[in-house]
Amino acid sequence: MKDFAEPLARLIDALKRLPGIGQKSAQRIAFHLERAPREDAERLAAAILDAKDKIRLCSLCNNLTEQDPCEYCTDPRRDPEVICVVETPYNVLAIEKTREYHGLYHVLHGALSPLQGIGPDQLKLKNLVERLKGGKVKELIVATNPNVEGEATAIYLSTLLKPLGLKVTRIGMGVPVGSELEFADEVTMLKALEGRREI
Amino acid sequence: MPLRETEAIVLRSYRLGEADKIVSLLTRQSGRLRAVAAGARRPKSRYGGTLEPLSYVRLWLFERENRELLRMNSAELLESFFDMQKDYRVQVAAQYVAEVSERFLPEREVNERAFRLLLAVLRGLKRSGEVNRPLAYFNYWLLRLGGFLPDLASCAACGRALGNEPGYYGAGSEGLSCAACRRSPADQTVAPGLLAVIASGCQGTLDRWLAAEKAPAGVRETRRFFEELIESHLERKLVTRQLLAEEV
Repeated sequence: MKDFAEPLARLIDALKRLPGIGQKSAQRIAFHLERAPREDAERLAAAILDAKDKIRLCSLCNNLTEQDPCEYCTDPRRDPEVICVVETPYNVLAIEKTREYHGLYHVLHGALSPLQGIGPDQLKLKNLVERLKGGKVKELIVATNPNVEGEATAIYLSTLLKPLGLKVTRIGMGVPVGSELEFADEVTMLKALEGRREI
Repeated sequence: MPLRETEAIVLRSYRLGEADKIVSLLTRQSGRLRAVAAGARRPKSRYGGTLEPLSYVRLWLFERENRELLRMNSAELLESFFDMQKDYRVQVAAQYVAEVSERFLPEREVNERAFRLLLAVLRGLKRSGEVNRPLAYFNYWLLRLGGFLPDLASCAACGRALGNEPGYYGAGSEGLSCAACRRSPADQTVAPGLLAVIASGCQGTLDRWLAAEKAPAGVRETRRFFEELIESHLERKLVTRQLLAEEV
């Protein structure tokens, strides 16, 4: 005898493919949807399809958007002389949360990771070089993750783009706010010292 | 739940759940292991940069019966290779070394020589910034320690001594072939006597080989031949090999 009726098993199987959802969570969500009114399930299904159909990549910055170019690229209040390079679209949200950055973005959709077979050709670099060739951009802020892959990507970008004559900067790395120095490891402390600034 | 202390090199890590990592390790005392580091992806994680790929660390691990994955209790950084990222070629080479170690070495089988080899090669890559000699050294010794290094002086098919003749190899080769036994005209050529020169360079320490002024001619071709042998024994394509071929 099967554990679940066929349609429910298929739903659990589909939910299990989502990131962070295991067997137990998939079962819980599936049973919740089964008990919920039909309209709720329809709303969820419609929202998923709507997002799939309407969301695409901005042709300028590769961010996820409904309109092309995206609202960051078309906003006249944003500074077109500064571009912040990030790995994924949700990194844009992390930077926007600061409310201190008013430049444009460029999303690479990954970082150099030879172990995963991701080299420069797999990153969305071509349109970045095109954007920079216009000469409008004065500074490129590399905000890739502070790990091995992100650091390699940052250094690769700096080597590739510095000859274009623009300022390439890297976001600060080091001790997180609210932590204590005694728990910092050598790499973190070294990066914090390298990135020190005058006060 | 015994607590295990060991030195290890982080080979790679995988995301787990919201903030955890599964870390693949080559340990000195217990061979290749995988362990869960809870909260390692949080910005204020106690692990900080300790568990970045290729870090040389001291770890304290918990092991539970009937559980494949160990649980990490704490980690101390002994040597970081983070700065190797400054050169993309060196980074690709280091990740090739990590990938081969992960695929080639069986899990939970103590292999201190392989551990020392990996550490020496990472240090060689970091200090010299050179790729071909450290990788040739790594490939040669990994094949030799695993018992897969063929007789480099004779044809793998007919057994005839190669002498002053070139050797040939192609995809799936398990050794060099003589001109009569080569399988395809597209096979790569290894110049006569070249492997003997490389093998002699690999006899001492990597530091000593790197201290010699110049890499011998053909070290790149030899490195590629060894890579072919490794892929042939693994019976799978190495992801990093493609990038290595493009860059180095």
